[in-house]
Amino acid sequence: MARFVLRRLVRGAVALLLFQTLIFALVQALPYDFSAFFIVSPSLRAFIREELGLDRPLWEQYARWMWGFVRLDLGRSFLYWPAPVSRVILSRLPRTLLLFLPAAVLAYLFGIWLGKEIAWRRGGMLEVGASLFSVAAYTSFAPWLGFVLLNVFGWYLRWLPYQRLVNPNVWFNAPVTVDRVLIGLLGTGGGLFAGGLGLWWATRRITDPLLRRAARIGGLTALGVAAWMGWNASGIGPLAADVLAHLVLPLGTVFLLSFGETMMTMRAAMLDSLREDYVLTARAKGLPGRVIRDRHVARNAILPVLARLALSLPFVLVGSLVVERVFMWHAMGQALFDAIEFQDIPVILGILSVVGVLVLLAHIVLDVLYAWLDPRVRYPRGE
Amino acid sequence: MAAMVGVRRAWKQRMAAWQRRWGTEVGLFLRQPLALIGLALIGVFGLMALAHPVLMATVWNRARFDPIVGYDASQTPHPHPPTPQHLLGTDGFGRDVLSQLLVGTRVSFGVGLIAAAVAVLLSVLLGGTAGYFGGWADAALMGVADVFVLMPPPVVLLIFGLLLRLNWPMVALSYGVLSGLGAQAVVVKSHTLVLRNRSFIEAARLAGGGHFHILRKHILPGLMPLLAAHAVFTVVGAVLTESLLSFFSRTTYYLSWGSMIWMGQQSFRWFTLEGQWHVILPPAFALMGFCSAFYLVGRALDEVFNPRLRRV
Repeated sequence: MARFVLRRLVRGAVALLLFQTLIFALVQALPYDFSAFFIVSPSLRAFIREELGLDRPLWEQYARWMWGFVRLDLGRSFLYWPAPVSRVILSRLPRTLLLFLPAAVLAYLFGIWLGKEIAWRRGGMLEVGASLFSVAAYTSFAPWLGFVLLNVFGWYLRWLPYQRLVNPNVWFNAPVTVDRVLIGLLGTGGGLFAGGLGLWWATRRITDPLLRRAARIGGLTALGVAAWMGWNASGIGPLAADVLAHLVLPLGTVFLLSFGETMMTMRAAMLDSLREDYVLTARAKGLPGRVIRDRHVARNAILPVLARLALSLPFVLVGSLVVERVFMWHAMGQALFDAIEFQDIPVILGILSVVGVLVLLAHIVLDVLYAWLDPRVRYPRGE
Repeated sequence: MAAMVGVRRAWKQRMAAWQRRWGTEVGLFLRQPLALIGLALIGVFGLMALAHPVLMATVWNRARFDPIVGYDASQTPHPHPPTPQHLLGTDGFGRDVLSQLLVGTRVSFGVGLIAAAVAVLLSVLLGGTAGYFGGWADAALMGVADVFVLMPPPVVLLIFGLLLRLNWPMVALSYGVLSGLGAQAVVVKSHTLVLRNRSFIEAARLAGGGHFHILRKHILPGLMPLLAAHAVFTVVGAVLTESLLSFFSRTTYYLSWGSMIWMGQQSFRWFTLEGQWHVILPPAFALMGFCSAFYLVGRALDEVFNPRLRRV
């Protein structure tokens, strides 16, 4: 197992270095010169080029970029000179995470649940309806879907605030910054998620189904109440509520865009494992349908869904970057589009590297998880 | 005469063989209601793409109905809601929305088909070779795939497409290259590996079949179902990515559904907030319908060719 992990890590590192070289080459091939933005005298332009390091020979720029990347230094942004790229990206990270993580988690949970249900009751109207709806949501155009939700719920019905991160009237003279509240909310969300998982783990040995369900619901309620009371006591509860109200529409958009794929994968995986012999055995033993569905079939069907999750993560990320743009949720998406508009090459390279590293990590975690769960993967032919 | 009869018989036999080989699959495919919906939608979009040149040549006045430079001075102000003359109304520049919609269909078909063809070709070349030959070829080619896996096509194309202002054939080509050399090559490789270790390949090799013969006659047909499903999903991804690009590139270098939606939203922002839905809804629903149709067909193909998904 250790050997497998090590080999995978080395392969990943080599791929990452090649990837860095490739994106550097691609960006260098762009017909752009940042100093051409300024209408200044040639001598001043030469000074700008020298200041930004654009006058160095290509190999030196390349060596500097690669060496910087190895030291986790992505250079300095042209647009926010002299702020380092890592700060430009990191300062916007909490906002993107607050949108992306809950949406992704909710979409996966809902997709898995719905896929399980429609695979179990195959061939009904529920299946056709759920499939059509989820495919329509999955293939709808992200900016348009956001625009429709914004108009319907924000403009016509006026149920929810639309556009921007917060309401300035609520935040007038606020004692804390928006990002601090966002990080607090992220922490709360993470805590609730971890608490829920822990609760599920702690109560899984309770045999009486009624008691188990009561314990789970009671525990979740207690967690929720505790979080709510904590925010109330902190004195910035209304500010957090304002952020959450602004979060609903973009989060709903990303959720609608991404649950369909999980649902379809889960459905196919369920149908796949429904044909296994152990399902027949379980039926012959006289186990109730719910137990067969949840404990025997769904548990084995999760594996391919996990594999799919890692592959579809970048697509969900793009969806949320675009949705951020539509809802003027100033975060990574804003940084990305600004960088494109002003040809801020270091930030573009930085965002590409971050995406590359995230995808690589997802793949490595997935491969290791697979190898851990399924020994056939660990020992390739002839070993 | 005798030769004619022979030709006809050969044709009939070929049909019968085809029926024997694929009859069950076609039957299974046609029995799924969602697959039929998808096929019908694709047919409708095909007719739409064909209809535009015909309508322009016969019914529509070029000055008024041209999708890019047309202008109707008889109906103001623009954007104008639907009328008998302009069935879907006009956009902010006074251009007919229906005419634009039909031209956009052509772009979407072009993008989808180019991207799918390129992706299938590259993934077979890379993944098939790596899986079949193994050893050094595998290590080298999968090294390439490892790098391209890190470049998810939507992210990379969003950045480079906007920077370079790519037009749609280039977007399609790049999408095909990125997905064909990346994730798809990995999947094709693992399937080739499974196929290569089957006994009929060994039999073919013992019978004296060369590598090229085995690849063409035994491996490739085995990969076909997988490739078909992947091609269809590539169409969906490529069309959505192209729409994002033409939506965000703001200036209309070429006409497609994405840039139409952008135009429609501009009319919302700057003129009035109500009553302009006719500009934005047709391209948005067309895009949704187009991608859903291909997605449903791909899912149905998967269900047919993956024996473990067949109905018990």
